[in-house]
Amino acid sequence: MSAISASEKVDGFTRKSVRKAQKQRKSQGSSQYRTQSAPVELSPLPQLKDAPSTEQQELFTQKLQQCCMLFDFFDSVMDLKSKEIKRATLNELVDYVSTNRGVLVESTYPEITNMICTNIFRTLPPSENPDFDPEEDEPTLEASWPHIQLVYEFLLRFLENPDFQPSIAKRYIDQKFVLQLLELFDSEDPRERDFLKTILHRIYGKFLGLRAFIRKQINNIFLKFIYETDHFNGVAELLEILGSIINGFALPLKAEHKQFLMKVLIPLHTAKGLALFHAQLAYCVVQFLEKDPTLTEPVIRGLLKFWPKTCSQKEVMYLGEIEEILDVIEPTQFIKIQEPLFKQISRCVANPHFQVAERALYFWNNEYILSLIEENIDRVLPIMFGSLYRISKEHWNPTIVALVYNVLKTLMEMNCTLFDELTSSYKADRQREKKKEQERDELWKKLDELRLSDSALVQNNSHGLQNNNNNNNNNSNSSNNDDTEDKSADSAAALPTDDKEPDVLVNIFV
Amino acid sequence: MDAYKLMKELRVNYEQEVFYLPKETGLVLIESSTRDESRISAKCRDVQVEDLWSLTSFFGYSTQTFVLAVNLLDRFLALMRIQPKHLSCVSLSCLHMAAKVTEEECDVTSSDELIRIGQARFTASDLCRMEKIVSEKLDFKSKPITALTFLQLYHQIALSHSMDRKETLSLEKLEAQLKACLCRISFSKAKPSVLALSLLRLQIIAVQSEDMLEIASHIQRHLKIADGELRLWSERVAQCLSDYASPECSKPNHRKLQWIVSRRTAQNLHASRSVPELPTIPEGGWGESESEDSCEDVMSSGEESLSSSLGSDAEGPYFPLHYRQQRDRGHLLA
Repeated sequence: MSAISASEKVDGFTRKSVRKAQKQRKSQGSSQYRTQSAPVELSPLPQLKDAPSTEQQELFTQKLQQCCMLFDFFDSVMDLKSKEIKRATLNELVDYVSTNRGVLVESTYPEITNMICTNIFRTLPPSENPDFDPEEDEPTLEASWPHIQLVYEFLLRFLENPDFQPSIAKRYIDQKFVLQLLELFDSEDPRERDFLKTILHRIYGKFLGLRAFIRKQINNIFLKFIYETDHFNGVAELLEILGSIINGFALPLKAEHKQFLMKVLIPLHTAKGLALFHAQLAYCVVQFLEKDPTLTEPVIRGLLKFWPKTCSQKEVMYLGEIEEILDVIEPTQFIKIQEPLFKQISRCVANPHFQVAERALYFWNNEYILSLIEENIDRVLPIMFGSLYRISKEHWNPTIVALVYNVLKTLMEMNCTLFDELTSSYKADRQREKKKEQERDELWKKLDELRLSDSALVQNNSHGLQNNNNNNNNNSNSSNNDDTEDKSADSAAALPTDDKEPDVLVNIFV
Repeated sequence: MDAYKLMKELRVNYEQEVFYLPKETGLVLIESSTRDESRISAKCRDVQVEDLWSLTSFFGYSTQTFVLAVNLLDRFLALMRIQPKHLSCVSLSCLHMAAKVTEEECDVTSSDELIRIGQARFTASDLCRMEKIVSEKLDFKSKPITALTFLQLYHQIALSHSMDRKETLSLEKLEAQLKACLCRISFSKAKPSVLALSLLRLQIIAVQSEDMLEIASHIQRHLKIADGELRLWSERVAQCLSDYASPECSKPNHRKLQWIVSRRTAQNLHASRSVPELPTIPEGGWGESESEDSCEDVMSSGEESLSSSLGSDAEGPYFPLHYRQQRDRGHLLA
């Protein structure tokens, strides 16, 4: 607590790093814990490789059942011996399934899946750190990883075994299994998610009957993420799987897939944590466009619709994605979106955030994009010209100014005549604007002057009649010296104190 | 200014212009030299002048600055043999000198900025030294008489003679065309008065004004410019302008521009685009029983339709064997 100084206590925005330093964080989480109070010991079984072939089946089953015993890893000293036995057994099982043929008989399937389900399907612990920042923070790791890792490994080898029969396995690896597997993608442990990704990928490949279900569930997860919770740790992994699925889409694309692109993938760009999965998301989008170029227009319009307005980091990401899309775009599609796109780009190059401006200007270093611009220079140049010319004079960042020179020079060399025309019309516009400003300034000055001379007029008017009488009295008084004493006293009292120019008044009213 | 005074000024300039012409032999030498390391060629010079044009445009300098800079450059190159590696220094110093005498002080860009934007390899002190050398060699004291001088005079004369044609003869357009011509070294051999008159005549012909053509002839007679000379240069100018005005774009690749970005952006750009590690899963063709009918409903109805997608696939006993074998081919991963 002494780490926070008095000034920081008053300041409402204590640095995140300081706050974290105080929190006593557990770097490990787990929901696995032993419910029984009595310690359970595992008795070591003989090695599989030593057992005669007739007994191997039975031994295999026994070992599987043994591994259904769960251990509490929060307490690092409890049940060390049993934990070690389980670990060694799991290791042995992994080897057994990887190296031997003919071990996967029908009767083993339920045992295997049971062991797997018992070990990995669990409720994930609540997040220790809701403000998790992937660049700064350490992720919360699964405490029972020494065992769970081997279980995942086992599952993977099981799926990849040449004798694996989806027709048998489908009774056990069913929709419920897949649903629970998907829930685990929310794990904070990246190693776990990595395994899950590969496993789900294999399952999708082998179980055709589950494909539609998997796609639908992933849809649900994403939609919930976008519109409800804004929290899910496994978006990047799921997108990676989707990338390989999209890559394999048959042509023509089914309507379901196009819907997915427009209703899920594009809105996914609006998530706050886009940085965590943007690379995978962009890959998916580009894959779609490579499959079906006619989707280019709706995709780009979608991105433009969701263009970030307050987050510059995101803007830089979007620009990167646009460049990736432009790299594969067909010229006929480019023509359809060039105007709205370059309007946005011209706003980006003028952006005061230097990274955004730089990223946008760097498009002109891309040969293919240059060739597209060249073919359509008469539409693109008028859109870009104004911003470029303006920021060449006004931008604060010298690197940007140098880049703008490059861009202007490139554009000029593409079509000098058009460039010159735009330059002169831009200058003419600026002249007109300046003239208008000057006229406006002069008008204000005139109004100011009028006001000053009028105000004197207005004040005098309100006491007009009174003054008039008094002045008349004065005039008449001065001529009648006898009566001066009395009347002057009266008139003196009646004279207004702020009467500065009685002469003016006399001229008007008399 | 009345017409008489204008014509008089024209005469004076015409007599003076010869002092500001680059040495013809020098120019011819440049034109004829092949591209090698020791001599500059016409192409080098032309490229430099195009760069000067870009810089003029970028910094908002006037046409006068540009024309003056090119004049200084050509005169210097015609006099002195310089190595190609010094060419950019010479051209930038000419531009800087021209800017200093033509533009307002507040509008003149500093040498450092000029060097930075022009992506040059030399320092500000190099630039300063070169400026001294150029001004010494050319005895640069006053503003030289250039084609622009004549162009402006001709324009004024033409306007003063026909008041109703103010809009059609655009000085700006003439200036732009002059800039285009100056990008080719061959036009530096022309006398500025002749070059300007050629440009004027071409535009007059384009707007099809008979009385302006009369004025142009009047000027020609006044200055005693030979018909042959005028015709020769008019042809060349016409050719150059038709290239300039053609809708075809030239590929901007004769010089590599440096694209310097900040460290952060550079990191961003080099961040590896994720190479997919997972192998592609091909979608099923005919007969892939993913319960296609439920698929179509999935997105639109949003309702659970689990029952229809349960347990149907080609591996079951419901499908004939040969279909199963056909489908097994592509779909199962090794």
